[in-house]
Formats: sequence, C-alpha cells, structure tokens
Amino acid sequence: MIYNSVDTEDTSRTITMAVYRKLEGKSTQLLEKIREHLEQLNEKIDVMIEIQKHGQRELPENLPETLDVMTLLSLPDHLRKTAVSLCKLEKATADEVSKQTKRARAVESGYLNQLVIMGYLKKERQGRRAYFYIDRET
Amino acid sequence: MGKIIAIHSYKGGTGKTSLSVNLAATYARRGKKVCLMDLDFRAPSLHAIFKDYNPEYWLNDYLNSVCEIDKVLVDATKDHGNGGKLMVALANPSTEAIRDMTAKDRKWEMKALGRLLALRSALLSDGDFDYIIFDTSPGLQYSSINAIVTADVALVVTSLDASDINGSQRMTTELYDLFEKKTGILVNKVVAEHLSTKEGQKKFNKYLKSIHNLPILATIPCYCEVLRAAGKFIFTEERPEHPFTETLENLATSVEKF
Repeated sequence: MIYNSVDTEDTSRTITMAVYRKLEGKSTQLLEKIREHLEQLNEKIDVMIEIQKHGQRELPENLPETLDVMTLLSLPDHLRKTAVSLCKLEKATADEVSKQTKRARAVESGYLNQLVIMGYLKKERQGRRAYFYIDRET
Repeated sequence: MGKIIAIHSYKGGTGKTSLSVNLAATYARRGKKVCLMDLDFRAPSLHAIFKDYNPEYWLNDYLNSVCEIDKVLVDATKDHGNGGKLMVALANPSTEAIRDMTAKDRKWEMKALGRLLALRSALLSDGDFDYIIFDTSPGLQYSSINAIVTADVALVVTSLDASDINGSQRMTTELYDLFEKKTGILVNKVVAEHLSTKEGQKKFNKYLKSIHNLPILATIPCYCEVLRAAGKFIFTEERPEHPFTETLENLATSVEKF
C-alpha cells in the first residue's frame, strides 16, 4: 500500500510538471506574440505621430512614382535625410538608419514608415526585425 | 575606407576633365589606388586622353546592368601609374550612345543611382581603392546629381565669369546643401594679376570665400602651357616642375584632409 501511494504521488508530480511545462511553453509563446503585436502597434503609432506632426501639407500633391534624385530633392528635409541614408544602405532597419542620420530610432522608424506610405520604400519583416528598401526592379 | 570625389561645375568648359585627370594622376603618383570615371555621358571626354585603351564594356553598360564594373575598368597603371595604380572607366562616345543616355526615364535614373552607390562596396570596400574620381557633366543633369549624391566630397569648378559664379552659388545652395554634401570650390583659369602679390592673393581669396560661402580648396591660375597642351597628355605627369603641378599637389592634400 505504502509503495502504491508513493507511486501515485510520483506519477501525479510528473503529470503536474508536464502540465506546467506545457503551460509555460504556451504562455511564453503567447507573451512573444503579444510583444510582436505591441511592436507593430508602436510602429503604427510612430507613423501617425509623424503624419500629425508634419502634416500632409508638407508633402507634394502629385507624388512622383520613383525615388530618383529629383524626387529626393522634392521631399521635405527630414524625409530626404532618411531616404538618402537608405539609398546608401540599400536595405536597412530603422536602427541602422538612425546610426547614419544620428537621430532617434523611433523618429527614423516614423519617417521610414511614412516613406512606405508614400510608396517610395518597401518594408519586409524578417522575424522580429523590419527591413526597409527601395524596390528598383518593379 | 577610400573616398568618392565628384568634380562638377555649373557651366561647361571650366576645366573639370583636366582637373579630374590631373588629380587622379597626382594621387597615383603618391602611391594611391585610384579609379577615374567619365560620368559625362552627354559629352564623353576621357576616351580622348586614354585613347590607346579599348575597354571591353563602357560605363554606360554598367549603368544599364549589362555587366559588372570589373568589365568596364581599364588598367592605365603601366603608362600612368607612376608608383600607384590608375584604373579608368570610359563613357561611350558614339552619337548613338549619347542619344540613348539622354533619352533615359526616371525609373532608369533611379536604378543608375543604385548602380553608382553599389560602387562604394565593389570598389572601396572590396576593391580596396583609395579614391574614385567622378568627372561629371555640367549643370543639373541627372547623371551629375546621381554622382553628387553618391560622392563623399563634391568639388565645384568655377571660373570668374559672372554667370558661372552666379550659377555655382545657386547650385550649391539649392542642390548641394539639400543633400548636406561636403563641398569645396576650385576657382580655375584665374587671371595672373589677381595672384601676382601675396597681399592681392589674400584679398582675392577673401573675396572668393565671401561670394561662395564655402571653402576655397584651390585658386588655379590660367597657364598658357596648360592650354597649349590641349588635353593631349596628362600635364602633371609630363611637367612635374610646372607651378600647375604644384597647385594640383596642394589640391590633392587639401582634399585628402577635407
């Protein structure tokens, strides 16, 4: 009887541990997902803040399709700096651009996303990192 | 990491090509690895100086994504290396090629900018070049603005002609400043009386600085010997004792430190 009780106790402990592990794994996954969504939300808020701050008035009415040098010249100063920096880097994250322009990452993230909205840049996610680039082929 | 230098001007005939070639030769004489590129697709010039070289491909082909840059570069080290290395990229001088380059659309120009920017990793990082010198076309041409955006340093060549001074002023404030480009002024073909005395030279430099509001990296006198050479050979190579060669040496040092 005693042996049986120990066996049952061990089994129940093993089951409890397995359930904990499973739950722990699930909650980590869940937390990871929440973090990803929060990051995406953060980026969207950055864009909204930028658009609100500078307003659409500063942007040319009829936007040209391509990000060539003439378009670069027509951009407002703050966006031109970001766009030129990305031209040089080819493909980069907001963090990499911010190191070149010496402005805050969140600011560059806002400007880069604004350039994406304007149709000059493309954005691509690789895991948790968002890469910006100029699509010269299509 | 090396440096990309764009030599540009508002008007034609200011001496961009002559200064580009001689600056490249000066750096080569200092043992540097130099690449000289003809980005004046409307009026290609370097092929006339490097006429003995037959490139497999032109710089036009590189920008058209027909080939990579190594197929364009011709090695002029044997004749013009003088201790360093001099590679040259020539623009296609045929009328058909000039017509083709002037008819490019904005999308092509955007790609061309990407190809020019890619030279930084291909030649400066991987190719180990110390200097890439762009000889550009005058004024606000697409190819010139692409070259300026790509370059680390822009050198604006200007004469003392009133329209040239005025145009250069506008170009630097309305174009170069927008790209936050490190810019220096080269005043070329200066008449002798401005530089005849030390005092006069000082006064003249002060005047130039006040009108351009940018560093004056060189004031180059108008030498009859340089004009007589008529671009048939690299002057600083043939006449090492000439004051023009000394001026170019000083310019090379100024740009190096700039």
